[in-house]
Formats: sequence, structure tokens, C-alpha cells
Amino acid sequence: MAEKKKKKKPGWLKRRPYVPYIMPTMAVMTMLFVIPVLFIFVISLTNYRLGYGIEDISFLGLGNYIRLFDGSENAFYYSIFISLVLTVLGTALQLVIGMGCAMLLNCEFKGKAVAVACMIVPIAMTPSIASQIWKLMFNNEFGIINHILNQLFHINISWLDEKHAFLSVVIATIWQYVPFVTLMLYAGLRSLPEEIYESAALDGANRIQIFFNVTLPMMKRLILLCTLLRMIDMLKTFDIPYVLTQGGPGSATKFLGLLIYDTGFGETNFVARSAAMAVILIFITSTLSLILFRIQRKNAKE
Amino acid sequence: MSNKKLKRKISRIFLYAAVVMVCFIAVFPYLWMVLVSLKERVLVYQPEVLVFKPVLENYVNVFKTRDLGSYLINSAVIASLNCIISLALGSFTAYALARYEFRGREKCALFLTFIRILPAVASVIPIYVIAAAMKILDTHGILITVYLLFNVPFTVLMMRGFFEEIPVELEEAAKVDGCTSLQALRKIVLPLAKPGLVATAIFCVINSWNEFLYAMLLTTYKASTTPTIVQMFKTISGVIWGEMSAVGTVATLPVLIFAMLVQKHMVRGLSFGAVKG
Repeated sequence: MAEKKKKKKPGWLKRRPYVPYIMPTMAVMTMLFVIPVLFIFVISLTNYRLGYGIEDISFLGLGNYIRLFDGSENAFYYSIFISLVLTVLGTALQLVIGMGCAMLLNCEFKGKAVAVACMIVPIAMTPSIASQIWKLMFNNEFGIINHILNQLFHINISWLDEKHAFLSVVIATIWQYVPFVTLMLYAGLRSLPEEIYESAALDGANRIQIFFNVTLPMMKRLILLCTLLRMIDMLKTFDIPYVLTQGGPGSATKFLGLLIYDTGFGETNFVARSAAMAVILIFITSTLSLILFRIQRKNAKE
Repeated sequence: MSNKKLKRKISRIFLYAAVVMVCFIAVFPYLWMVLVSLKERVLVYQPEVLVFKPVLENYVNVFKTRDLGSYLINSAVIASLNCIISLALGSFTAYALARYEFRGREKCALFLTFIRILPAVASVIPIYVIAAAMKILDTHGILITVYLLFNVPFTVLMMRGFFEEIPVELEEAAKVDGCTSLQALRKIVLPLAKPGLVATAIFCVINSWNEFLYAMLLTTYKASTTPTIVQMFKTISGVIWGEMSAVGTVATLPVLIFAMLVQKHMVRGLSFGAVKG
């Protein structure tokens, strides 16, 4: 379309100097985004399995979607349920703990650079490898966590059994992602003008009042942005449970990402069925983001 | 000592205790990994042994028998090439979004943000099928290209904030002096945006270096990156923890050093790119 217009009006580009800056990106990103999204939708309407040739493929219409919701795929409901629980619980915990750590970093103390450096370690550590280390630390017999718990309180927890696997995933997730939230909120805290605190202190507000009435409202936009980023990432969770629990035991920690992977590439090779689930995952993430975007915009306007 | 002074002292002690605890939890898994990587095989199963004669056999093994070297090279090639392309594409776009008012500007920004939202586990299915049909599975090119999906939107988001911070007047002055807009961008804007570019580059490298799902599905051996090496340790008889930890230690070290060297830029980058959001 850009080409056509250019021929009609010679001065077109002159009047739109931004076009050369954004065109390459838009072209590449559209190709990388639109083609896969359309294609996944097409796949989800067929019976495609890995290794099928063109002649084996037939068109099923909405068959794969109907299968998901008519009760023949119980695992799917359960998977959506635990994914949502992980998203809400994980995000809430990450934000609360992250905010706590950010407030801590914002206090004055010696060795702040060291503390920030420590926070960078989980950010830099590869999630798949870190999860392998968590698996070692969570081990029943020779894990360090049980060893410490045993020494201190004489308790032993089977971290990776059916009851606790979900909790273990939550712990590993929190460790991995809290530092990111912390650094972001810390950066935000530092950019708040100091006079506000001073005047609040002059008015006789105590620390807790200052936090809830001054700090939180001023950080609202940033906190919402953090919530948005974290919720989306939590919905997509894959690496940590894939390595730590493989979705097990049974399907106790089979989050949507894992279910999609297992259906399409892992346990079975029903690519088309997993594509249908993936379309639903895209639908959930987009809806959620749109809602959060709206809230953020509304806040920005106020 | 007066009561007030004592109270202050106690709160200082609490503050330091809390900081030390948070730092300890943050680094503990890494320290534990390093410790295990230096243990002999038998000692791995004895968590209470903290003092022992360190051995390097795990490190020797992972380079000799597990071919860790080629995984690291693949990771480095893919992360650096992708980073260069992402920065080039992303910062030009960010510059246009920051400097020019035009119809559909926010739509462009929203479109890019939306790409970031697309779950990898969803996009990997069609990308796998397409790449298999084009016979480009297990090449560096496929991962370099696919990683643009998350790194370009990220670069635009970060750099837009940085560019908006730079006063327009500087560029206008340069243009009055006879610079073209591209020259002004190169000579005035880019040097000023350097901290932002550095911070963005680090995050781009970390993102690609740590990416697991695409790497696992789209490569098998020739272009496999380090995160996929955990696949090799999923043996039935149990993981060889010592070697696994050696892999982890080596794999994390480059990014860690890289991130530490520029940590100031990182926090600054977050405060610009993110706070502006």
C-alpha cells in the first residue's frame, strides 16, 4: 500500500518522514506475528499430527474446539483452573514481596550496590537451569531445604509430591521473578519527589500512613504496569514447571503451557488439538491484557 | 544511651538483618549450584558436607563429553546477532514514535506491545510447522529471527522512553547547522541515548540467552543453545547433579558478569523505560 501511494504523490515520503524509521520493523514484525497467528488458527481447524503429509490432512471445522468443551478433555478445565490460580497467586505474591524488597532497597544503608548485585543473580540465571537446581534443593532425601528444615524444626516435606508440587512451582517462580519487580519498583520509588514525604511527615503522618496515602497512590501506574507484565508472563509459564515437575505428579502442575506442549509435541503429537488450546490461551491473554490496558489508561487520564 | 538512640539502633539492626536475608535468599541457589559443581559424585548426596576438597572433574566432563563449548558458542552467536538486529530495528522505530506525531502512532505502539503478549507456546506451533516445511529447523537463523518477536517490542518500549527524555532543541540546532535528520540522529541523539542502548542490549542478550521453549523445539543439535542442555540431564537413573551444576555455573557466568558490570545502567534503564511505560 505504501508503494502505491508513493507513485501517486511524489512528496508523500517528505510529508511522512517517520515512515522509513518504522517501516522495516513493522514489515518484519507483521510477518513474524500475523502469519503464525493466522496459521495456528488454520491448523486448529484440521486433524494435523506431526509427520502428516498434505494428503493425510482433513478439515474438521470446529471439532477440536468442541472436544475441549464437551467434557471429553477434563485435563483442559483443570489446566485452565490451575493456570489462573498460579497467575493470580503468583502475581500477587511477587508484587507484595517485590514492593517490600524495593522499600528495603530504598532505605539508606551501606553496601547498596552489593544488594542490587545480589538481586540481579536470579534475573541473570537461566530459568530452565535454575529450576533444575531447585529440583535438587527440593529433593526428599538429599535436598538442602529439607536438610535445613529437619535440623531446625524436625520436619520433612516431600516438596515434589502431589500435595506440594504446586507450592514448589510458586516458590521457584517467586525467587526467579521477584528481583525484576523489585528493581522496577525501586527505580520508581527513587523517582518520587522527596518534598512530598517531607510535607507528609510535617503533617504528622506516620510511616504506614505515608506508605498507603502517599507512596502507593503515586506508584499506582507503575504497579499496574508491573501487574500487567507479570500476569501475562505467569499465564504463559512454561520453563519452571516443565523442568521442576514435568507437570506432575500426575497432572497436578500441568499448566496450560505444559498441556499445550505435551499434547502437540511431548506425550502425544496431536498438533491440531494443541493448536486449538493455544488459540484459547491467546484469547485469554489478550482479553486479560485489554482489561488491564483499559484500567491503566483510565488511571493515566485521571 | 538515650531511648531514642537505642530505638534507632535496633531499627538499623533489623534493616541490615532484612537486607542480608533477602540477599542470601537471592544468591543461595546460585551458591549452592557452584558448591555442588565442585563436589565429588558421592558428596552431592550429603548436603551437610560444606567443607571438602573441591574437584574440577565435573567441569572437565561437561566440556569433554557433553560438548558444552558448542552450546555456549551457539548461544553467544544467536544472542549477539539477535541483539544487534533488535537494537537496529527497535531503536529506529522508538525514535520515530518519540519524535514524530502521526496518525496511528499509538496503534503502532499497541501492536508491538500486543506481540509481546503472544504466548511462545502458541506461536511455536505454527513456527515449527512452517520451519519444518522450509527445512530451516536447527539453524542459527531461525532462532535469531524468532527471538525478534520478543526483543524488538521490548527495545521499542525501552528506547522510546529514553528518546523522549532527550530535548528536541538539540536536534533542531544541529539541523540549523546543516545536519540531515539522519546525521542529527547519529551524532546527537545516539550518543545521548547510549545508557539506554546499553541497558536495552543487556536485557535483549539475557532474554535470548535464557530462552528455553523455542530453543528446545526448533533446534536439535547444531544450533542448540545452553538452556536446552537440561534436556540431556533428564535421564531415567536420575540427574547427574554435579555435571548439571557445572553446566549451570558456566552458563550463567557470562550473563552475570555482563549484568554486574553495567548494573547502574540496568537500574537507570528500568527507571526510564519502565517508569515512563
